[in-house]
Formats: sequence, C-alpha cells, structure tokens
Amino acid sequence: MGGRDEATGTPDPVEKGFATLNTIRIGMKAMVQKDGELRKAEILSIKQRKDGTAFYVHYVDFNKRLDEWVDSARIDLSHEVELPQPEKPEKKKAGPGNKAPSKNTQKRARAESRDISATPDLLTGKNTNVGKTQRPSKAGGKENRDDETPLNLSIGGSEAVSADGTPKPESDDVDMIDVSFTKDAKEEEKELMSREEEIERLRTSGSMTQNPTEIHRVRNLTRLQMGKFDVEPWYFSPYPASFSDADVVYIDEFCLGYFDNKRSFERHRSKCTLSHPPGNEIYRDDYISFFEVDGRRQRTWCRNLCLLSKLFLDHKTLYYDVDPFLFYCMCSRDETGCHLVGYFSKEKDSAEGYNLACILTLPQYQRRGYGRLLISFSYELSKREGKLGSPEKPLSDLGLLGYRQYWRETLVELLMETGRESMSEHDLSMLTSMTEKDVHETLVVFNMLRYHKANWVIVLTDQVVEEHKKRLEKEKVKGARKIDPARLQWKPPVFTASSRTWNW
Amino acid sequence: MTRYGGMGRTRPKKLTSKASIPIVREDEIDLIDDEIQNALQQIETGVEKAEESEFHLQVAINAAAQGKVNDAHIPTPETLLSNLRYDELYPPIFSQPATYIRFSATVEDCCGAPYCLDEEDDVFLKIFNQKRDASGRCTEDQFEEVMSFFELTSRKEQPYACVDNSPLMSFEEFQQAMDPAVDDSVKRFAKDIYDHWKSRRANSEGEPLLSSPKVEAGRDTDDTDPYVCFRRREVRQTRKTRGRDAQSADKLRRLRKELEDARQMVALVRQRELARKEMLAIERQVFMQRSEVKDMKRKLNIKDDDEDLINQKPKKKPVEAPAVQRPAPQLRMPPKASTQAAEDLQLLDDVQAEKENEIVCDIRQNIAKHIKWNEGYVDFTRAPLSPSPERTFDAAFRPAITTQLPTPPSSESENMLDSALDTPSAIALRDKLAPHAMVLSEDTSKMPSFRRRIGRGGRLWIDRRNVASSCRVEMDPVKADRFKFDQDSDEEIEYDRDPYDTQIMQHRAIMAAKARDQAAAAQAHAQAQAAQAQAQAQAQRRLQAEQTAANNPPSGGQPMGSNPGPGAVASASET
Repeated sequence: MGGRDEATGTPDPVEKGFATLNTIRIGMKAMVQKDGELRKAEILSIKQRKDGTAFYVHYVDFNKRLDEWVDSARIDLSHEVELPQPEKPEKKKAGPGNKAPSKNTQKRARAESRDISATPDLLTGKNTNVGKTQRPSKAGGKENRDDETPLNLSIGGSEAVSADGTPKPESDDVDMIDVSFTKDAKEEEKELMSREEEIERLRTSGSMTQNPTEIHRVRNLTRLQMGKFDVEPWYFSPYPASFSDADVVYIDEFCLGYFDNKRSFERHRSKCTLSHPPGNEIYRDDYISFFEVDGRRQRTWCRNLCLLSKLFLDHKTLYYDVDPFLFYCMCSRDETGCHLVGYFSKEKDSAEGYNLACILTLPQYQRRGYGRLLISFSYELSKREGKLGSPEKPLSDLGLLGYRQYWRETLVELLMETGRESMSEHDLSMLTSMTEKDVHETLVVFNMLRYHKANWVIVLTDQVVEEHKKRLEKEKVKGARKIDPARLQWKPPVFTASSRTWNW
Repeated sequence: MTRYGGMGRTRPKKLTSKASIPIVREDEIDLIDDEIQNALQQIETGVEKAEESEFHLQVAINAAAQGKVNDAHIPTPETLLSNLRYDELYPPIFSQPATYIRFSATVEDCCGAPYCLDEEDDVFLKIFNQKRDASGRCTEDQFEEVMSFFELTSRKEQPYACVDNSPLMSFEEFQQAMDPAVDDSVKRFAKDIYDHWKSRRANSEGEPLLSSPKVEAGRDTDDTDPYVCFRRREVRQTRKTRGRDAQSADKLRRLRKELEDARQMVALVRQRELARKEMLAIERQVFMQRSEVKDMKRKLNIKDDDEDLINQKPKKKPVEAPAVQRPAPQLRMPPKASTQAAEDLQLLDDVQAEKENEIVCDIRQNIAKHIKWNEGYVDFTRAPLSPSPERTFDAAFRPAITTQLPTPPSSESENMLDSALDTPSAIALRDKLAPHAMVLSEDTSKMPSFRRRIGRGGRLWIDRRNVASSCRVEMDPVKADRFKFDQDSDEEIEYDRDPYDTQIMQHRAIMAAKARDQAAAAQAHAQAQAAQAQAQAQAQRRLQAEQTAANNPPSGGQPMGSNPGPGAVASASET
C-alpha cells in the first residue's frame, strides 16, 4: 500500500504492486475473470461468507449494472493490482483495513459535492471522483434520469469510477475549503470511529459494510420479485436499509409496495384492490394504455415507482420528492389488470424545455419496442402542447441508443415521404416536436447532413434507406406499434403560479 | 439559430435552421470530404462523460453508425420467470370499462390496513386465539388494524424517534388516541396486541415495523446519506425587491384583517344566537306563567278582559327604541328577527285594531248600501248623507270635461282655498316634472282637472291642474322653482291622499252641460252655480273631513308619485 509520502506526491502515475487475498482492499483494481476473459475491476466491497471472502467488483469500462459479487477464485492475483489512488494522508494511521481509502473518498466526495452543486459539468469533466452520491444541482433540481433504453444521465458525475481511475489532486483540497468545513471534518472523525465499530459488527454478522457515502455504489437488493418475474436489480436504490438483508424483495405489481417478507406480501395482496396505476387513463389502444399520475396527488405510489425505477436507473436521484413531476405510465392489459411496463416522468414546469425527465422500461419488458413507444408518446404530448421538447440530460447508455434510434427513424420516415425534395431543419423540428438541435445532431451523427458542392444537402444514405425498408417490412408482418394521436385524450395540465411556487 | 456545423469557419456556408436543404440519395452525390464529415461527427452524446467510453456503449454506437443496429446490444442482467403462484396472488378480476379510466383514489385508500402480518405475528395470533372461544377470537384483519394503529400513531407522535431515541409510547398514551380512530370491536384486543407490538419494536431496535424509506429527520448526515430520499424541495427563491416586500406585507395585512373580520363575525353570530336562545327561554317562561295565571283566574273565577294574557306591545318610543336599536346594529338582527316574537304572540294593539277594523267595516258597508240606494240619484243637498267615501278616495285628478269649465273667480277661491292658492303653479310644475305620475289616462292629463285631498289635520284641499294656464305663463319658471319647496310642511309634498271629490265634479259636469245648453247667455248663471258648488264643497268638505278623519287615521299615505290610477288607489290607501 502506498505510503503517505508517495500518496501525496503526484497522483498521476498509478501505483502498482502485487497483492494477496488478505491484502486486497477496497479501492484496489485487480484483474478479474469475466465471461472468460480477464478484466480490470475495482474492488468496491468485501464481505466474509461461510465459503470464503466475496468481493463486489466494478469492471472498468463496463456499466455499473454489470457490477457483481465474485469469489476469490475469480480474482487473478498473478497480475499486479493498482492501488487505490491518491490522497491517503491518513491511510497508514487508519491502520489496516479499508477505512482509509473510503474515508478519503468520503472527504473528497464532500468537497466535490460542494463543487458539484455549483458546476456539475466541471466535475464530470474532471473525471475525478470515486463516487459520492451526488446531489443534483439544486438549481435544476430535477429528478435525474436515466432510462432503460435510453438514457441515464447524471447530473454530477458522481458515480463513476472514472475511466482512468486517477483522481486528481484537487480532492486534497479538503482542508482549504472553508471554515464551515471544520465542523464537517469533526463529524468525519466521528463517523470514522463509528464506522470502525460498525465494520467490526457487520463483519461478524456477515454483512458488508461501507462508508455511507459509497454505500450507494453497491447494489443493495439481491433479487426482486415482481408480477410474474424475478428481476435482478441493477443499481442501488434507497429502499429501507433493512431490505439489504432480504434474499428477495417482493414488489406489488399494481401499488408497487415493497415487502421483504413473503407472508406480509401475500397478506398485502389479499387486501390490495388496485389494478392499474392510480391516475387517469389518457391513451388506450389494442395493445397498451397510458396513465397520467400526478406526483403530488399520488405521493405514495409515485415514491414507490421512483424507488423501483432507481433500481434500474443509475443517474436518477431520489434526493427530492416527487411533487413537481407527472408520471406517464405505460401498461399492458390482461384480465388481472393494467401491468406497468414502463414509464417516463415529466416536470410539470420545465425551465429548460425538457419534455421528459426519467424514462424506464422495466427490465422484464425490455427489448420489445416499449422504449420506443414511450419516447414516441413523450413527443406526442409535446405535439399536443405545441412545444418542442428534448429529454433531460445526461442520457444513460441505453437511453442514448434508444433516442438515437427513435430520432433517426422518425426523421428518415419524414424525409422518405414521396414528393419531398427539400426540407429545413426547422420544418423537421415542427413536424416531430424534436428540438432543432436534436434534429441537426441526429442528421450529423448518421452522416446525413453533408456539404456538397458548396451547398448543404441531406443525404439519404443507402444504409438508412435500407433500414427504413426493413422496418416497413417488419411492420407489415408484425403490425406497427405506434402511438395513434387520435386515441390520446389529453389536455396539457395547467398548474397555477401558486402551485408552482409552493411545489404543489 | 445559426450553426456552423463545427467546421472551419471559412469554408462552408452557414446553415440556418430555416434554410431548406435538398434531400438527395447517396448515389446522387460524389464522394464527400472526409475531413469535414469527421469534424461534423463531434456531436455530444448527452451521456455522462465518464460513461461515454464504456465498452458496450462504444460497441453499440459503432454498430449503429455502421447500420448494424441489431448488433447494438448492451448486456443487462437477466430477468427470469418467477415461480411465484401468480394466479393466486393476482386474481383475474379486472374488467376494462368502455371509457378511459379515471381514478383518484390513493394507494392508502386501496390497501386497507397498512400493516401486513408476518410469520411471527401468525404465531402470536395463533396462541392468542387458542385461549378464546370463537366469538372472542381476533381475526387477521383486526390484528392488522390494531398494529397499524400503533405504528401510525407512534410515527405521528414521535416522528423523530429514530433520532432522539425517545421511549416507546405507553399503552395509556395510545388509548387516548384510540377512541376516535379504532373500531370498538377491535379495541378489546388492543392491550394484548400492544404487548406484542412492544416486544416486536424492541426486537427491531426501535425501527418502525412498517418499512418506509428514510426521510429527512434533521440529522447532520441527512445530506449525504444515500438512504435518505424524497426531501422537501426548497421553495424557489424569488427576487427580493422593495415592491415585492410591500406587496407581501399588504397581502398579509389584508389576510389578517379578513381573518379577523371573519372571526369577529362568527363571534357576533354566536352572541346573537345566544340572545335568541335567551329570548326563547324567556318567552317560554312568560307563557308558562301566563298559563298559570289563566288557571288561577279560572279557579278564582276572575273575569276581566284577559289583557294580561296577551303580549303588550312595549311602550312605543321609550321602550322599543332602545330594545331594537341596541341589538340591531350589534347583532345584525334582521328586521324580521325583532318582529318574529311579536308574530307568534297576539298583541293587545292588534286585538284592538281588529275590533276597530270590524267597526269601520260595518260603517263602510252601511255607506255602500246607502250609496246603492241612491244610485242614479245625485244628492245635491248641502251635506249629502251619502258622500261616497270610496270614490272620494280612489279618484285622482279628474279632468273637467267641459270647455267652459267654471273656474271659480279668483277672489272667491282665494277665500276658500286660502293657502292652496299659493301653490297651484308649483303643483303644476311638479306635475310637469313628474310626468309619469300623470299616466292617469290618455290625453285627459292635459285637460284641466281637479282633485280633492285631505291634508294635515284633516283639512280638505282642492288641487287644480292645468287650470289656469295663465298662471304658468305668468310665473317665471325660475321663480316657481324657487317656491317649489316653499311650503308649510313636508307632508304636503307627499299627497298623503289623493281623494277626489266626484261630487263636485259631477255637479260641475251637470252644470257645464246645462251651461252648454244655455249657451253663453247662461254664463253668469253658471258662474253663480260654480260659486255655489264651491261653497257647497267647502261645507261638505268640512263635514266629510270629520268623518274621514274618524275613519282613517292619517296613516296609510298614497304618494302622488306612484299613483297608479283611480282604481287602485282605494285599495292601497285603505287599511
């Protein structure tokens, strides 16, 4: 482990060394077997099991949803491990164990969190951090989002184990931060102590422990039972802390209530009469229904929904309450009720003109085109409002792919209409309710906007033409799943000035 | 919106969003300049910077760029079919309505008792019920209701229990809250279940049994605790300006005042209702005492007019004024309220008035009879026995039909109508000013006409109209106006009564007819007749004044302004 001197030196070169199972610490990066290949992975947590030590690892350059518990056999110690980075002034003092790094992270996190609230972008740009739960910038205050197919975004780059894994020295600034921090520092000390005790206790009880600020880096639920499916959670979600001990957490499919005890869950099912999201149905076709649920009026349900979706959205934050959002819930129907398939949330009043905050297709329904319907519906609402809209950023990886696909298909469909010889970006924007920026960028990304003989042209590349044809054929066979605007019974809800001021 | 496409500034034309861009197929254009295209590719993905480089995402993006969309697959953890007995837990009870669903019930409304028992509770319940016979057993629902009550109440009463380690609420504390909240049938189990609840809470180290996400509790660690969620959002800051401050202060002041007013009003209403109640009590007391008096009278065989059994109206001015005035403004007694009591009770005055009314009616009937007898006759006697009071009252101005209306000589009228002469022009003017008052009939209003009325003190007046148009001409309107209100008393303005002396008019009409027959030669004679008629009228007036004064106390007045016409006057002015 790095000594104090080295640590405070230039952080840039990564320290490496060999480790043994006994000296592996949180924050180290080791080579781990993943699907038959070795990948570098950061150790996020360690816990003792009957059959040995288990390590919670995050694979570098993989999305966090692939983080997992591995046993020691999968860690290849014949390779050098990278030591946890930087600043570890107290590392030695803290003694053996993983406290030091985590403590540092915590400190850094604090420092960052201040920065972040001011300039989130800066932070993400820096790639510093090891995670800290970020609070979204207060100004923007949105629910952050992420989505399944689509996107995840996070306002502060919190999560993130940065790609290069080298924290920058700024984090050492903690001491300089400002007077108000002295108190925090003291608290940290306290936390540290109690954390040590806690670790001791938890270690014996077999449960993993964590610095509070990095708890969220480790998935807290093991398995989810919901409706007809068993689902594996992807990310941390602030369900009651006691739920981390449960093997299975039961989610009621209709009220989205959560139970860590099967008997309780069954009792609840015998009492619960809900059979669809508790709001007004605003869209219905043969295939799906959409319900509009007001976060203020259905606080419990919307909180349940957010807790659930946080399991699958990395950058969503539940920092704030659900009042300022409307939730548009897509359901499939059968004789037992309207089953939530996916949803997106939308600010009642978006200062930035976002038409969507978070979007999620539940994992058990993914890869069936639902995400596209959700996106399409969000633009249908924007059309009804007479506004242009764009999803709140950042997007998740899945979100980005989903949106790009939707944007491309939507634009290509318009451009392919017979008789069209030219079109402006403005026209495209008005017809689709996409912002001009999104229109432009989509054209560029798919290499459709080119400069040719001193003029701009939109090129329908062979590739997009072919894809378009394929899609049409597929729709002919399978039937097109589209949002039919005529079936949308919806007027843009109006919220009074006072309700906005008071966050009603 | 202007964009340069991210390339060297000099080369491409700028592309505006409104510019129409030709759409072409790939084969229609030449190979493109890679450099530019590459520059164009630098588009933000909108993905978190730290994640942009993720392996699977990059693979997917590249696949999409190459058109292999289906390969653009990002691996996600697996989802499996559950072995849960789904059909049992989710019964197929849903029937879709024909119209879109509208729904506003909350989760709490739909889920019954929030507490759901687990195996541990099952054990407790089983043991608990073993000792009891069928009727005394506690059902699962009842058990959950009580547990929910304990949980919710303690959450409400001790919201910060997790922070300040306050002791569990005692059963006694719960009991107070239980009365309104919990059904009686369930209460009998409360004590036993409380012990169970307490032990469970102890086992859970004080954590609530109803699991809920952690909320802000004022802890220092709240901000960074990832388990704390759903914080209240800070209210958006509005810009602080002096104007806004003043505005807010005003609003608050007004709000306060309005609330204060409302409070005051409620207090006063209460006061009023108390007063009413008191009044009712007193009335009842009076009634009871009266019935006692009545009994006593019967017993003792006292016979008098029983006036002590009827409500006496409080002495007019001195008593009633304070009685009404004091409460009225304060209690806002509607006028009805003050008379309400009187309505219920017979007042001596009323009784007497009724008696008198009967007498008057009698007299009137006799008079009517008399008139009937005399129908077709004209009583030319100086003091006719049957002046027809009705007609006297109901007539308003009657036009004098003849052109040779025998105007009394001015000297004579001066004598006879003393002060009335001072005002004819004023009256005429007034008539002019209030034309609607003259809706008498057709064009008769323009003809000379007369009216008899009774003035203050029962004096008789003859009003003339359109008589001497010369008067009007003579008099400067300004001057007339000056005298308009120059009258002895206001009462004159009101024309309490508009009785009309038909007799005189009849008489005159006859005379006039004769006069017409006799032509101008009879002019002098006619004048003499007229004079006689006036004299007669005077005499009769006196006599009649006595009579009418007796019959009709000067109460119901008929203001001239609303004089609807001859027919209506009688009914309105009687009573």
